[in-house]
Amino acid sequence: MKKDEIKPNKEELFVNKHIQPGDERKSGFEMKLNFLKAAFLDLFLVFYTLLILHRVIYYKLFLNLREIPFSWGQILVVLLVSIILGGLWTASRTSISAKLFGFAKNTPFSKWSVEISSWIIFDLTFIAGWVITKISIVDLFSSEGISGANRIFSAIFSPSFSIFDDALFAIIETVYLALIATVLSIPPTFVLSFLSARNLMKDNKISFALYYLLRIVFNFIRSVEPLIWAIIFSVWVGIGPYAGMIALLVHSIASNAKLYSEAIETIDQGPIEAIQATGANKIQIIWYAIVPQIILPFLSFTIYRWDINVRMATVIGLVGGGGIGTMLMQYQGLARWHEVGLIVLMIAVVVWIMDYLSAKLREAIF
Amino acid sequence: MLLQLKDLNKQYSSGVHALKNVSFNVEEGEFLVIIGLSGSGKSTLLRCLNRLLEPSSGSIIFMGKEIAHIKGEELRLLHKQIAMVFQQFNLIDRRSVLTNVLTGGLASMSTLDSVLERFTPLMIQQARKCLQIVGIEEKAELRADTLSGGQKQRVAIARSLMQKPILLLADEPVASLDPATANSVMQYFEKINKQFGTTIICSLHFLSLVRKYASRVIALKDGEIVFKGDAKDINDVLFREIYGDESSDFEIK
Ligand SMILES: Nc1ncnc2c1ncn2[C@@H]1O[C@H](COP(=O)(O)OP(=O)(O)O)[C@@H](O)[C@H]1O
Ligand SMILES: [Mg+2]
Repeated sequence: MKKDEIKPNKEELFVNKHIQPGDERKSGFEMKLNFLKAAFLDLFLVFYTLLILHRVIYYKLFLNLREIPFSWGQILVVLLVSIILGGLWTASRTSISAKLFGFAKNTPFSKWSVEISSWIIFDLTFIAGWVITKISIVDLFSSEGISGANRIFSAIFSPSFSIFDDALFAIIETVYLALIATVLSIPPTFVLSFLSARNLMKDNKISFALYYLLRIVFNFIRSVEPLIWAIIFSVWVGIGPYAGMIALLVHSIASNAKLYSEAIETIDQGPIEAIQATGANKIQIIWYAIVPQIILPFLSFTIYRWDINVRMATVIGLVGGGGIGTMLMQYQGLARWHEVGLIVLMIAVVVWIMDYLSAKLREAIF
Repeated sequence: MLLQLKDLNKQYSSGVHALKNVSFNVEEGEFLVIIGLSGSGKSTLLRCLNRLLEPSSGSIIFMGKEIAHIKGEELRLLHKQIAMVFQQFNLIDRRSVLTNVLTGGLASMSTLDSVLERFTPLMIQQARKCLQIVGIEEKAELRADTLSGGQKQRVAIARSLMQKPILLLADEPVASLDPATANSVMQYFEKINKQFGTTIICSLHFLSLVRKYASRVIALKDGEIVFKGDAKDINDVLFREIYGDESSDFEIK
């Protein structure tokens, strides 16, 4: 009986192979590609594990060396060992990647191998993170540390009002810097957001290329922190609020253009179709069918951006972007903690007010 | 002859073959109704007629001119001549009823004037007239999203009238309205057809409405024409042919 059951099954398998040769070949190619990807991933995992074991666990924790010896030769040896071990691991079809790409053996050993190695990698990463950030409970609670904290906190909580006038002017500078950056960002963002909305740009090859280009540029600009833009522009136009403003402007345009264009992409297509069907031209369609649908989200994003910009303006002041941040850096450098206390207090109050105002405004709009 | 379709095919890029060798003629002044199950290709057909979609093959001759593949300014002029009313009304919710009607006249305005919303007194007067035709001139100043479904569709009809169309298309214009409202909205189409002689092509779902308003009927099934003729000639056999065996007469009749 059993033999009978098995036999047709085998035949079926055989027949199937011949019925869909295209599918078989394709999946065969995909299998090979997946195997290759898995081998690389396993190589990386083994390399990473060995590197941490060697450099962090052995040198740092076990031998407790201050200076860890480094040579490219060593790394190369570790890499060679990893290639051999990783290759064997993948080939045995018991590796993590084999599991991820779905060709792992279905045996208890394979399961065990995947679980144990995942656990080891996770633990090693955590330990390495701990060691590298030099986490030390001792430093946090040493008497020296505690008295330092005491000193700074007592100073900050008894702010000195002697510099109140200067701080007030500085923080006004910060708020206006953020405001100007936000307001100036509106017109370019408005135009650019239409050019980076997929649904408006996808019909034509040239416009679609422009869409892609803009997306890449925006993503790049956004991935560079405003702090770094401030450093760049303070070299370009000189240290001060102007550099800070341009840094925020650039970052605001890139961030909001993305948000705006996403709002454009999710609008109701119905009115667009209807206005198009009246014989209106492209600009008229945008003005009558798209703008009314996006004006509120745009306003809301823009107000929120002002709020964000005030907070960022204080931070970029630290690298010479002007305003209260620059002042904070100066007094911190002089270790005048009572003055620092006042500045921190004023920043907190202004940020809180901005946060409240922007939330209320956005609520009122919707 | 106003409109002449020959072997029209539409295949979407997804591969769906939504229209298969559709051919028919439309005379001036007709009230042609298109029926068929959902997915049978009614919307696709109407959107090919006013070229919101481009057909894959075949020809569409409108007022003696081939329009199947026109582009740019020519296409814009075609849109101006053929108005369309949609199932979901597609009004601009946040603008006034009057502004919505005025958008029907955008094609005859300069871009600058329209962006600055400088409508001429004549246009505004015409827009009010269009609202009067569909009986809601008193709602002109209200925001469009404050209206009921039936009122919205009447505004959409007024917007299409503002175009002074030669041909009026309507894609299931009453499908999201209750039966009583549906009937009253259909009466405005009838009025436009009878009073102004505007040719109408309208897709509908309910046979009762079809019998009442259609001067001629075309039935679609899976993108093919399965019936052409008079509404009263749709007997039970044909009915099952069009709507499938399982459909109950109550729902659609
Ligand atoms: N934009 C589209 N892309 C791909 N397929 C579509 C699209 N619109 C409609 N279809 C398909 O075309 C066929 C006809 O649809 P449609 O014209 O909307 O029919 P109806 O209006 O009669 O319900 C359906 O099978 C539908 O899934
Ligand atoms: Mg439809």
